[in-house]
Amino acid sequence: MADLYSTFTQLAGGLRFTLGIFFLTLLFSIPLGLLVARGRMSKNIIVAGLVRIYISVMRGTPLMLQLLLVYFGPYYIFGVRLADLDVGPFKYRFVATIIGFSLNYAAYFAEIFRAGIQSMPVGQYEAAQILGFSKAQTFFRIILPQVVKRVLPAVTNEVITLVKDTSLAQVLAVTEMFTTAKNLASAQVSVMPFIVAGVFYYVMNGIIEIIMNRAEKKMGYYQ
Amino acid sequence: MSVLEMTKIHKSFGSLEVLKGIDLEVKKGEVVGIIGPSGGGKSTLLRCATTLEQITSGKIVIAGETLVSTSHSGLTQYTDKKTLKEIRGKFGLVFQNFNLFPHFSVRRNITESLIHVHKKSREEADEICNELLKKLGMADKANAYPCNLSGGQQQRVSIARALAVNPEILFFDEPTSALDPELTSGILKVIRELAEEKMTMVIVTHEMAFARDVADKLVFMDGGVIVEQGPDIISNPRQARTKEFLAGY
Repeated sequence: MADLYSTFTQLAGGLRFTLGIFFLTLLFSIPLGLLVARGRMSKNIIVAGLVRIYISVMRGTPLMLQLLLVYFGPYYIFGVRLADLDVGPFKYRFVATIIGFSLNYAAYFAEIFRAGIQSMPVGQYEAAQILGFSKAQTFFRIILPQVVKRVLPAVTNEVITLVKDTSLAQVLAVTEMFTTAKNLASAQVSVMPFIVAGVFYYVMNGIIEIIMNRAEKKMGYYQ
Repeated sequence: MSVLEMTKIHKSFGSLEVLKGIDLEVKKGEVVGIIGPSGGGKSTLLRCATTLEQITSGKIVIAGETLVSTSHSGLTQYTDKKTLKEIRGKFGLVFQNFNLFPHFSVRRNITESLIHVHKKSREEADEICNELLKKLGMADKANAYPCNLSGGQQQRVSIARALAVNPEILFFDEPTSALDPELTSGILKVIRELAEEKMTMVIVTHEMAFARDVADKLVFMDGGVIVEQGPDIISNPRQARTKEFLAGY
């Protein structure tokens, strides 16, 4: 019983990093994804082409490999030693995790946003143009709110995947929940820590489902 | 005084020329009905006049401002951004499929551009909105959303939205084509009332009887040219092509 209690508290300690990776990744990858989506739809073929390659590489290689590359790349490729560098209260390994996750998720979000933006009827743009809205006003007032509604189910998928993907940070020895569970499991010679961690992940995703369902309902006032 | 002057308008999509030198003048208070078969260039002409399409060559003057002109050397140039914005505040367009903003209430559909483009206060915009909705018999629908309205009601809102800026000219692109006959007559009544108030209007329509009644001038377009125009070409067509087209009604 004491074991279970300490397992619980130690996993909760790891949860801080899991939540940190989760929220910071969303914070950076969603705006970046919007930007990438715009780039992907750019009329400039060089911009569009580069963004296409970026998305292709990000989706086509393992996130775990990308994390390792962000962490070790600066030293092995450029000879810049970042590993000992702290950014504010964060170790570089944590910063590298956030960079890797954000770059990766931005690619996925970009394609979701692109699908949403391209599904908008051209009449919405035309009506906005006739009424004198600027391009920025048209996008942020007319298009984006409707796109958000359209892409919400797909975004929910990504967000739930992200919760589970945070466990990949173990490759950079970030002591998030999964790393903690693994350490506890080998120390206790028990699967209990894994089961408790599983419950933690499941509860987090349960909360996300509830929040996203509410958001969908809230936007259900129009078709 | 003319509110719209279109001179020698040519428009091509790639190698396909859809407008082959159109001249059209609309005077203040005049109602012009544009009729003709699908693919004849009616809607394209309207879309060129309302800046949704760019012309290949020619000249368009709206409410005294030159939107676009072709110089002697053959260079077609549109006006600068600032004038373009000014011109867009001087006309309204009512679409066939309404194109209301579904995430906005009726009120916000009408007031959004007043507040954020024309920089009116919310109170001022609300007042304009209330007045227009009352006039169009929609006073009780200000807080409804487009998806909860019938097609006829949606088209009323889109007319109100176009009227909100107090335009000098109002364009209609087949305003009743998406409506059933009953709703159609309601919208036609609204347009008739606007005509009685001397609103300058250009209406692309397939409603021949309506066009004949309400229009001061009728324009028959086919094959990218104006075949015939005049006040009574529906009841008294001279060109063979016009007669042939009207025989179908």
